[in-house]
Amino acid sequence: MVMGLALAVIALAQCKKDPSGSCGIGCDLTDIPYKTTAYTILKPAHFPQIPVPADNRMTLEGVQLGRRLFYDPILSADSTMSCASCHLPQGSFTDNKAVSTGIDGIAGRRSSMSLLNIAYANNGLFWDGRAATLEAQALIPVEDPIEMHHTWPNLVEQLKQHPEYPALFRKAFGIDNCCGITKELTAKALAQFERILISSGISKYDQFVLGDPDALDDMELDGKLMFFDEGQDVNLPDAQCFHCHGSITLTGNNYFNNGLDSVASLDDFIDKGRGEVSRNRTDNGKFRTPTLRNIALTAPYMHDGRFPTLEAVLQHYSGNGKGVSNEDPFVRQIGFPLGGSVLTYSGLTAYQRQAIVKFLHTLTDTSFVNNPDIQNPF
Amino acid sequence: MVWGGNSWPHVTTSNHQTHPSNPSIKPSNQPPYQHKIMKFLPLLLLVSMFAFFSACEKDEPQADKNFTLTFKTTYDGVPMEKYKNFAYGDRNIQINKFNTFLSDLILVKQDGSEHRLSDIEWVDFTPDLAPDDKAVEVQFKYTVPAGDYKALKIGYGVRPDLNAKKPTDFAPEHPLYRENEYWSGWQSYIFTKVQGLYDLDGAGDPESTLTYHCGSDAVYQTSSMTAHIPVTATSGALTVEFDVKKLFAANGGLFDLNDPLNRNTSHNASNVELGLKVMNNFANATSVK
Repeated sequence: MVMGLALAVIALAQCKKDPSGSCGIGCDLTDIPYKTTAYTILKPAHFPQIPVPADNRMTLEGVQLGRRLFYDPILSADSTMSCASCHLPQGSFTDNKAVSTGIDGIAGRRSSMSLLNIAYANNGLFWDGRAATLEAQALIPVEDPIEMHHTWPNLVEQLKQHPEYPALFRKAFGIDNCCGITKELTAKALAQFERILISSGISKYDQFVLGDPDALDDMELDGKLMFFDEGQDVNLPDAQCFHCHGSITLTGNNYFNNGLDSVASLDDFIDKGRGEVSRNRTDNGKFRTPTLRNIALTAPYMHDGRFPTLEAVLQHYSGNGKGVSNEDPFVRQIGFPLGGSVLTYSGLTAYQRQAIVKFLHTLTDTSFVNNPDIQNPF
Repeated sequence: MVWGGNSWPHVTTSNHQTHPSNPSIKPSNQPPYQHKIMKFLPLLLLVSMFAFFSACEKDEPQADKNFTLTFKTTYDGVPMEKYKNFAYGDRNIQINKFNTFLSDLILVKQDGSEHRLSDIEWVDFTPDLAPDDKAVEVQFKYTVPAGDYKALKIGYGVRPDLNAKKPTDFAPEHPLYRENEYWSGWQSYIFTKVQGLYDLDGAGDPESTLTYHCGSDAVYQTSSMTAHIPVTATSGALTVEFDVKKLFAANGGLFDLNDPLNRNTSHNASNVELGLKVMNNFANATSVK
């Protein structure tokens, strides 16, 4: 009887914590063992170490919960969209659309970014860097009116009342009661899953990096030399790609105006990108550099999906920018220097563009997109 | 605005973490008040002695990270700012990116003994996520034994043994983890990046690109900057300032930026001539206070 009274007191106390009154008797989770298993993210040996925040250590239980949440349409107000609606494995975690459409049929302004190797993104997330961490990022689409258009209080309530999620949160985070489910823990679980979205490291390019000189054919090798500005000895021009797309993950996660739009003033960009967040006009028209790994699987390209093919992307870069004052200088230096005091650059020939496109295809990693550990668990 | 060298927000680091201010540093505990106290009654003397010994207790053992090293950048003595026109001879110039690796930061004591602050740091004056165009100040905190120091040794770039490594050799919080600061063509880190625009056509607004990416062991430089640097158990500070204009010094004047060969460093790994000129200028572009 004493035990029963104690339980009743505890249950009532829990109810006081939750105005909705949804967590009370029957919501206790302490019968479920809480013992997490440390999760080591698998990565290729030649890849950089993966940063993991101290306040969200990787566990098997956290990853499993995050995976389930990622694919569960419960995250949207009408339970029709999940994270995976815009980030599908076969598109290297994009939706292969120019811009994504939310639950209300409203098209967004920007293309969904690939989540491949997103664990390495340490310089802001989204195209404009408005979230500092994966944990912060995961909070935003749920309430975005043109994405999932849900509310966190309602979603958390759904998760509390769900027949399975309370136990999964218990196993991942040790909550004692379903009232312990929060948006922050939900975001942590999603972030843990996203951190395991790492390349397999066995693309053709990786095989070349790892020492197989025959992994790339002559044309792919030409493309690589131009991509990394290493073709002087064989009379190939600089394509300047590597300045923004660093050597292994093929992005530095920096922000650039890559010469897409010709505007009379920095105030005239239709989508101001980073400037919309920083409120600094010289950031207008700058966007975060996406990874080029699996780029052949993520068409269309750019923040607004304006280019349907990689050939169109190379055609754009071959034009050496638009002369806007905050363009990255290397966008204007593609090709051979043409001499003269006012130095202009040749751009790239059809063969050179084609060679770079062919090199970009060597970055395709079907082992990653087919990895059973990252597929829809439902 | 003070920014650190490490942009990953959750990773705790040792010497690479920045702290804009250290609340444990309280100059009011220092002796300047003592002469006033001596004028008062013995009771107050006792109180002051009690306070003095209390302060001593707080100071022992030596506080962590008692020394602040601050890096600033200017253009011709004026605080640097991205996308701002600065005079370059009779033309204008903009410096829109400036970052550099610094190796072997070492304090030299009056007796010649040395205290190593750091093997390597990365100083980015123009980070993407800065709130405005003003060049940021970058601070590092170190634990330094109390004493009188007379110089700061600096290596400009990445010293050869570290430059033989690659970003994949380092943990995420390490300065040399940065992939975008490494170029496989040189098998080298890009020691220093200076990018901007120059008013080549003389119309007023800079329009012609300037890109100086300097790397490879051949351009690594060192210097020793003399200064009086007192360090107590709880405090010590030094500010290092780089004047970007002085990186363009040549033959008693400035690089002739009307010559295209002076506007962009070559990607030919065997041609580091222009990069070497920039790196050679670093010591003269440095002042310490």
